[in-house]
Amino acid sequence: MAGTATTSPTARVFVLSDLVRAVRAGLIAVVALAAGAFLFESVLRPLIASATVDETVTQTLAGLLLLLMPFVGYIASSSTLRPIARTDILRAVLTALIAAGVVHVAVVAAQAAFEVGPFAERASLEMALVEGEGGIIVESMIPGGAAEQAGMQLGDVITGIRRDSVDLAGLLTRVGQSQPDDPLRLRLLRDGEEMQITVRVALATESNVDALLQGVVIALIVAVVALFWPGAWTPFALLILFLVPMVVGYIWLIIATFSYRTQGLLPLDGSGNIGGLTLENWRFLTTNNIAGYQFDIVRITLNSLLIAVAMTVTVLLVSSMAGYALSRMNFPGRRTFLSFTLILHGFPAVTLIIPIFFVLINLANLPGIGQVVGFNTPGGIALVMVAFELPLGVWLMKGFFDNIPWDIERSALIDGASRWRTFRQILLPQIRPGILALGIFAFISGWNAYIIPATYSIGRGTSNLPVFLNSLLGETSPVDWNQVAAVGLFQLAPIVVFFVFAQEYLLNIYAGGTKGTT
Amino acid sequence: MEVTLENLTKKFGNVVGVENLSLDIRESEFVAFLGPSGCGKTTTLLMIAGIYKPTAGAIRFDDRVVNQVPPQDRNVGMVFQSYALYPHMTVFDNLAYPLKLKKVPKREQVERVQRTADAMGIGQLLDRRPGQLSGGQQQRVALGRALVKEPDILLFDEPLSNLDARLRLSTRGEIKQLQKRLGITAIYVTHDQVEAMTMADRIAVINLGHLQAYDTPEDLYDRPKTLFIAGFVGNPPMNFLNVEVRREEGAFKARNHAFALTIPPERGEKAASQSGEVVLGIRPEDISVAPEGELEGEVAVVEPLGRDDLIDVRVGESVLFVLADPHLRIRAGDKVRLHVDTGRVQFFDQKTEQSLLWS
Ligand SMILES: Nc1ncnc2c1ncn2[C@@H]1O[C@H](COP(=O)(O)OP(=O)(O)OP(=O)(O)O)[C@@H](O)[C@H]1O
Ligand SMILES: [Mg+2]
Repeated sequence: MAGTATTSPTARVFVLSDLVRAVRAGLIAVVALAAGAFLFESVLRPLIASATVDETVTQTLAGLLLLLMPFVGYIASSSTLRPIARTDILRAVLTALIAAGVVHVAVVAAQAAFEVGPFAERASLEMALVEGEGGIIVESMIPGGAAEQAGMQLGDVITGIRRDSVDLAGLLTRVGQSQPDDPLRLRLLRDGEEMQITVRVALATESNVDALLQGVVIALIVAVVALFWPGAWTPFALLILFLVPMVVGYIWLIIATFSYRTQGLLPLDGSGNIGGLTLENWRFLTTNNIAGYQFDIVRITLNSLLIAVAMTVTVLLVSSMAGYALSRMNFPGRRTFLSFTLILHGFPAVTLIIPIFFVLINLANLPGIGQVVGFNTPGGIALVMVAFELPLGVWLMKGFFDNIPWDIERSALIDGASRWRTFRQILLPQIRPGILALGIFAFISGWNAYIIPATYSIGRGTSNLPVFLNSLLGETSPVDWNQVAAVGLFQLAPIVVFFVFAQEYLLNIYAGGTKGTT
Repeated sequence: MEVTLENLTKKFGNVVGVENLSLDIRESEFVAFLGPSGCGKTTTLLMIAGIYKPTAGAIRFDDRVVNQVPPQDRNVGMVFQSYALYPHMTVFDNLAYPLKLKKVPKREQVERVQRTADAMGIGQLLDRRPGQLSGGQQQRVALGRALVKEPDILLFDEPLSNLDARLRLSTRGEIKQLQKRLGITAIYVTHDQVEAMTMADRIAVINLGHLQAYDTPEDLYDRPKTLFIAGFVGNPPMNFLNVEVRREEGAFKARNHAFALTIPPERGEKAASQSGEVVLGIRPEDISVAPEGELEGEVAVVEPLGRDDLIDVRVGESVLFVLADPHLRIRAGDKVRLHVDTGRVQFFDQKTEQSLLWS
């Protein structure tokens, strides 16, 4: 029967054997994932727990598998129909929809049987609530449930939890975060009178018909999409999926800087409604006083910039010339020098903090120089940072020079260029990607420098942005995270601009070095 | 420009690059340095160009000792084996770079670059980068860059070794013609004998950092002064046999236990002056397969080379390379008789390895 149907695809709209195949594939997938979840949750977890190791990985993985289970099932069943979709769309869609429905029913039945998914027990007050005029109105209660036992009545209007006023979403969140048997003291109005009732949170299964119906719709949509999904899009879809958390983070950062407070990605005003956008968090750009804390943002930014630029310039100059000498010239002590710089590179900066402190103090005593690179000057900080960045820079540059054939340099010398000119006009242009990369690294590490500026600068005159940011996290007063986000975004901005313009070169480096060599 | 090398020595630590090299190159002469890999050819060129400072000895351009003159003041042009084009510059900029450094006015630069590029056949490629050129085109750009500044001396370091056989053949001729026309003194490094033989006025054969011979191609081939040269020059290589040469009944005979050859008097006399065994040398092309030949042997191997068959013939205890006409259809195992053109045999002292004919 299947044979005749496939040879004349227009003859039938529906072939039972297709459906059987699709459903079977879907069910196998579902069972496989469920078995995986079972393995993690009921075999591995007790096993690990018996070794008295406390962990949540197995549970998380089991949960993840259960979450994916229905979707993998719909996709698996639709996949078997993809060949048919190429010739007979109607038949494929029809079969896929029915198959998805069958798989869905199986999944729901399994969830009900194992009390997972929508049938899982969760914290509940065991009453139905709706948002009303003056607060949250109690619509119905489960007989003998937590609410009824505590003495709640139909029509009570809940206005708050203890002293904080609350809306429906807030209340449900609070309940969701509670453990069974936690007391929640509700403030409510009954017949115009204010009173308080303490309800103990219970565990209950709130099987939700709406959720089940939504599940059916999702199943059907997934089935149809899986039927026609172009395979080439899969990598992009996965990339986007993994990218979303990062992007959401940045979106939050930007929204937060313009809000008083946020819930999720939504800015909220003082009374908990959506809205309340403000420029208050950015006022640090124009004032020199936040909540009594004195500072000078222009000075701070200039300090950051000074450290970053001084570092970039010095590191590039010294590294490129030192790298050239180390790559091209043979002099006594060359190898020793190379090994020592490598050791220095591996040295944690923190361990040298105190010796460097003495060096800077002594430098500060020198007339003239002391004002530029001594203790408690941006120059001094830049000097220390440069010293820590140089080993990497010198090695990087040496590597780039090593890759240029000797003949090109010889050729330039024979053509009539001096050694210095050869360096500038022939060699440097060929390691441009390396110079750009090192420059960007140096700039970013100077711009973001924290430990060294925080250690060697006292008072506000010499601190840079990261140090300023840290000082906002006061230990005695509550932290205004939206304020911190704004300063953080301000610090991030130049780096982002940098990357946007330089990313072509950066990619070049990662793609493997010099372009266009013969 | 005349170039003279006097006892030139270059050592890299303990490694000897070149040792005690002395030779002179005449005005407008084309000299080839021929030698196996690692014998010090490139090192010598780089010393002449001024990149390496000699450890000992002197380099003269005409009468001036240039040991301490930096490369930019020597006015030499050099073509590297790797071409060494500047990858970040266009072909035009590559060609113009030497002129820019000489502070030639802009307009003249453009003119000279265009002229040189046209002569090299790369006039349409001026906007490209070296990475966008074929190997042969890159080689032309390198040649053009060496020529555009009108150098006194041209140095070539195996410039053709990356080209295919046909292109090599045609470029060989062009380089030779160009050098003759411009009259520039040229030194050409190669380990390809045919290249050296066909292009050079004189060939300096170098081995292990030492000069082995310095002669015209004809002299090297027909009148080799040492056993090394005789064996090194020519492909397939010369055959060597140990013989005793004596005067017998008014004629000179070269004998060993397998054969006897009659040698013409002008060669035989010099060879006979040495008592005891000497080394007889004869090139494969001077031996032929002939029914009335003086030697008899058995064919061991037949290698078809196209125009000829190279056959290895066992004569007594020695094996001779012989070039034979393929139409003879000689097979391994055949017995053949060989005729030797005794007017072209060479004789060498067994111990000193010097020629008994041409010293
Ligand atoms: N910079 C160097 N440091 C140490 N040894 C070197 C150096 N340059 C060359 N040599 C050595 O000197 C010898 C001659 O080298 P050179 O490059 O002149 O050979 P070459 O004749 O040009 O060989 P090829 O035909 O392979 O190019 C070699 O043994 C080589 O190892
Ligand atoms: Mg060489």
